[in-house]
Parts: sequence; C-alpha cells; structure tokens
Amino acid sequence: MNSEICKILKNKNLSDDFYLLKIENNFKEVFLPGNFIHIKIEGVFLRRPFSVAIYTKKFIGIIYKKIGLGTEILSKKRKGESLNILGPCGNSFPIFENKKVALISGGTGIAPLIFLSSELKKRKNKIYFFYGARNKKLIFSEILPSGIDYIFSTDDGSFGQKGNIFDIFKTYKDDYEIIYAAGPEQLLKKVSLYSSKKPVYISLENYMACGMGLCYGCVVKIKEEGDGKYKRVCKDGPIFEGEKIIWE
Amino acid sequence: MGIEKLRIKLGHIELKTPIIMASGTFGYGLEKINFIDYKKIGAITTKTITYYPWEGNPQPRIYETYSGMINSIGLQNPGVFYFIKNILPKIRKKFNKIFVSISGRTENEFIQLIKIMNKEKIDALELNLSCPNFEKEQKMISQSSDLTYKIVKKIKNETSIPLIAKLSPNVTNIKEIAIAAEEAGIDMISVINTVKGLCVDLKKMKIIDGGLSGGCIKPIGLKCVYDIYKVVKIPIIGIGGIIKGTDAIEYFLVGASAIGIGSGLFTNSQIIDEVIKSLINFLNKTKSKNLKEITGLLNEKKGKNR
Ligand SMILES: Cc1cc2nc3c(=O)[nH]c(=O)nc-3n(C[C@H](O)[C@H](O)[C@H](O)COP(=O)(O)OP(=O)(O)OC[C@H]3O[C@@H](n4cnc5c(N)ncnc54)[C@H](O)[C@@H]3O)c2cc1C
Ligand SMILES: Cc1cc2nc3c(=O)[nH]c(=O)nc-3n(C[C@H](O)[C@H](O)[C@H](O)COP(=O)(O)O)c2cc1C
Repeated sequence: MNSEICKILKNKNLSDDFYLLKIENNFKEVFLPGNFIHIKIEGVFLRRPFSVAIYTKKFIGIIYKKIGLGTEILSKKRKGESLNILGPCGNSFPIFENKKVALISGGTGIAPLIFLSSELKKRKNKIYFFYGARNKKLIFSEILPSGIDYIFSTDDGSFGQKGNIFDIFKTYKDDYEIIYAAGPEQLLKKVSLYSSKKPVYISLENYMACGMGLCYGCVVKIKEEGDGKYKRVCKDGPIFEGEKIIWE
Repeated sequence: MGIEKLRIKLGHIELKTPIIMASGTFGYGLEKINFIDYKKIGAITTKTITYYPWEGNPQPRIYETYSGMINSIGLQNPGVFYFIKNILPKIRKKFNKIFVSISGRTENEFIQLIKIMNKEKIDALELNLSCPNFEKEQKMISQSSDLTYKIVKKIKNETSIPLIAKLSPNVTNIKEIAIAAEEAGIDMISVINTVKGLCVDLKKMKIIDGGLSGGCIKPIGLKCVYDIYKVVKIPIIGIGGIIKGTDAIEYFLVGASAIGIGSGLFTNSQIIDEVIKSLINFLNKTKSKNLKEITGLLNEKKGKNR
C-alpha cells in the first residue's frame, strides 16, 4: 500500500446522488478487483473508503453516493484538483477460469463488481450480472463492460424486472459455480445465507478508521474454532466468504 | 539533512528520532506500508498485550467526530504467549527499539506478564494504566495515585526493563498521579491516553462509548504534559492530537522529551515526515543543538536537570 497525490480527471454526477470520480493512477502498485482506495477529504478527520470500479494504467475510477459530509465535499471537487489517496487497500476477490458465475449488485455495490466483471471476462468465465437499483436512472449502462449477460431489476419497475435483485436472482436456474455480491448489508446477508454448497464472496463496507490494518476498528466476526474471531475488514477483507461471517 | 540532531535519550534508551508510534494505532508495526520511512521512527509501542487473549469489543468500535474519532476497540490481542512466539520476533526484524504495552486486570496478571517479558529482549515496557477494567470494581489504575504507586512499585521490584506509565487525562489532578508513579520508581511517563467520550450514530441509532483521539484532544494533551513537567524529573512522552508537524514542536516546548503519534497517521499519511521536518527546522531556526534544549522552553519550570 502506498499514499499518492492524484489529480482529478473527472468528477461527474451520474444521476441523483451518484457520482463517477476518475483520478490519475499514480500508483506503482497493481490494483485487483475488490481493492479499495482510502481518500483524504479535507474537512473531515478520517479518510473515506471506496471500492475501485474502473482500473487502467492511466486512471482509477470510483462510483460513489453522496450520503454525508465527506461525500458532499468530495462531490464539489473539480477536475484539476488533487486528492491524497491510499491504495491499494484490502484483499481482492478470488478469480478462477472458465466458470459459470453470478454477480449480484445492489446500490453502490455496482462499483467493485464492474472491475471484477472485466477481469472475470478476461479469464473466460461465463458471467451473469444481476444488477439492482431503485429506478432506471440508477442503472449506469454506459459504464458497464460489454459481452456480459445482464439481468436488471428496479424497485419501481422502470427498467428491467420489477423487484428486489435477490428475489429476481432466485427465480433463475442456479447452476453457477461461484457467486459474488456487493451492496447493502441486507443483500449480502441474504446472499451469504442462501447457499453453502458453492462459494459466495461478498464485499463488506464497515465503518473504518486507518484502512491499513492498524487499529482494529472495522472488524467483523468470522467463524473459527470457539466463538469466532474478529477480523479486519480493511486488511483481511473487505472480501470475505459469505458463509464465514457471523452477522451481528 | 540534520536528522542526527533529533537523537534523544529517554533515561538510558537512545532513540534515533523522538517519534514513538503510540500503542494501538500502529498495530504491531508489521503491515506493509510503503509510504512510511521506518528509519524515521524512533520506537514502536505495540498494541496493549494482556496475559490471556482478548477478543475485544463488539461493533460499533469507531465513530468520527470533529477533528477526531471515538474508539472502543477493547484491547483485542492474542495474549502474551502468542505475542512472544509469533509476533515479537517479526517486530524485532523491523524495528530498532521496541516498547511493549501491557495491561493486567489484576496485580497478579501484571506480575505474570512482567515475569514473561523479563526473558525477552525489549527496550521498554509501557504499563497501560488507563484501562477501565482493573479488578472486580472495574477501576482505572491511573485514576488513583495510591493504586498507581502500589502497582508501579510492585512491578518495578520485579524487573529491570525500563518502565513507562501511560496515564489517562480523565483525572482531577494529573500531577498527583505522575508524582505517585515517579515515587514508585517509574522511568518515564506517557500522556495522554484517549479522553472519555461518546458519539451518537443517528443512522444506526447506536451509541459509541469510548475514547476520543485526534486533533481535538491536543490542548488536553499539552496541558497534561505542561502540568506533569512541573512536578517530575523523569522524561515525558507527549501524545495526543499530533496531526501535523508543528504539533510536535508544541509538545516539546511545554515539556515533552519525545512524542507519540497515534490517530494522526489515519488522517495524515505524511505525519512522520512532517514531524521530522518541523523539528529540524525549529532547531535550526532557534539555533538549538538538540531537542533537549527546547524541552520545556515554554514551561515556567524550564531548566531543570533531567
Ligand atoms: C471497503 C469499502 C468500500 C466502499 N465502497 C464504496 C463505493 O464504491 N461507493 C460508495 O458510494 N460507497 C462505498 N463505501 C461506503 C463509503 O465509504 C461511505 O458511504 C462514505 O465513507 C460516507 O462518507 P460521508 O462522510 O459522506 O458520510 P457520513 O455518514 O457523514 O460519514 C461518517 C463516518 O461514517 C463512515 N461511513 C458512513 N457510511 C458508511 C458506509 N456505508 N460504509 C462505510 N463507512 C461509512 C464514514 O466513512 C465516516 O467515517 C465503501 C465502504 C467501504 C468500507
Ligand atoms: C484505535 C485506537 C486504539 C488504541 N489502543 C490503545 C491501546 O491498546 N493501548 C494504549 O495504551 N493506548 C491505546 N490508544 C491510545 C493511543 O495510544 C493514544 O494515546 C491516543 O489515541 C491519543 O493520541 P492521538 O490523538 O495521537 O491518537 C488507542 C487509540 C486509538 C485511536
């Protein structure tokens, strides 16, 4: 992990409270799907973690939702301004070859799964991408990789099927070998408890402080011998096997 | 560069720089962090180690506030035996000077820990006297000068490893506590541990009851160092809210002989470099030969022989 000053190349409102931020990639370290960056935003004390959604040699892209003071300040940053970024942070999604896989995304969970899907594609996996959002405006088709089967759902039925993405997912024939999920905790919990016969990998979003594995603030309880053990989401995660999580 | 000017002596311990990584905010120093220049770190203080493994507190453990954060980690650690076998050897490979922070829930637990640590090559033991869970009554040792005296005295009799007392700012009169520790034979004092505080998470409808750290507690830390310097002769490690380089200078001027960096690293990744730079600049500007010359410069009790 390193700390770099990166220029903002683009900070664009996608719709409603969602934004796409592109920054120069000044890191010599390689980023993998599931990794996040920890952004210093002047005006708030702690850094803010965001999953990497788009990754090239030239730039790094994140998709974020404005929910509080930090993201509010971030949304006002303009092209040409600089940000102090820590990265790559955390572990990454295990990636296999030639598998049939399902990706399930709700809300901002789309971010890590976009990066993941482009890597899965390179490794010749057959991908079914379940993408749920509140409404049509929050389906960001323009940034989705091509050559993948998407199944969309919206809460109001304005795009794709109407309903919760997990309910839609369950109506499909489940012969996937691996499931990946990101988004609201409720969704991750449901996906994790859904199947123990195949690996389910989820991306957790706990409140965190250091983002470097130093402070043990962001821990989640993982099944181990005894009563389980607290593991750090920022270092041992954010990607965990769903069935190992002890949901509090 | 002038970094040799920043060499200090804490009692008999020689440090290349006065920067000490504070307990619990740097783990065991083993994470691979490329932007840190480890040569600039004088010593690492480990996360507090206890005799038995501690699982730590359930979530929520952290919450942000204005220029700071609350934590309620609860001393999550794998216990002293695991620490010595699996962690300490790795720390030794990476750090020149190692301060091991320990805490006990009873006097006996402290003594057991000391007996085990006596066999290890470490540079100092930091007694975390600011945990709110001593004995059945859940006391905090450093909130009582009698208890502080008693525990430090007992430990001092058991070991020749230099001892640091880490004190809580949550007391009526910090001077009394520092004096008690000094009289009992402590070698150094580090202040401050976190300040008791509480945050309310309106989104999750939960409270986070814990310890406040970060920029917002700097004036409290400075005041404690200032007061303690007036009444003891032993060196003081100033900790609390050092989030930019010049904050460290302030600690020296009121009486610190070294400084601890805690959550400042979370908000400012360049903090170590900044502190080094600020201190060198300040020494040069004031034509001071070393940090000892500026320790306590703005304290009414400056010039004591320490
Ligand atoms: C590994 C990881 C990846 C993430 N990826 C994304 C992403 O790709 N897109 C996106 O929009 N969001 C993502 N989040 C959530 C994002 O970090 C928070 O929405 C953001 O920190 C909110 O900051 P704020 O100041 O606007 O909100 P506030 O509520 O004012 O923040 C107060 C504190 O709570 C923390 N916090 C608040 N909400 C969350 C949350 N949902 N998760 C974690 N911490 C939170 C903040 O970091 C801050 O410390 C991710 C979180 C983690 C841990
Ligand atoms: C997440 C976190 C964990 C901490 N854990 C310990 C600990 O285990 N033992 C200890 O003596 N102090 C602990 N502290 C206190 C720090 O060492 C330091 O005294 C305090 O944070 C004030 O300094 P700061 O404002 O620079 O962070 C912890 C602080 C934080 C933020």
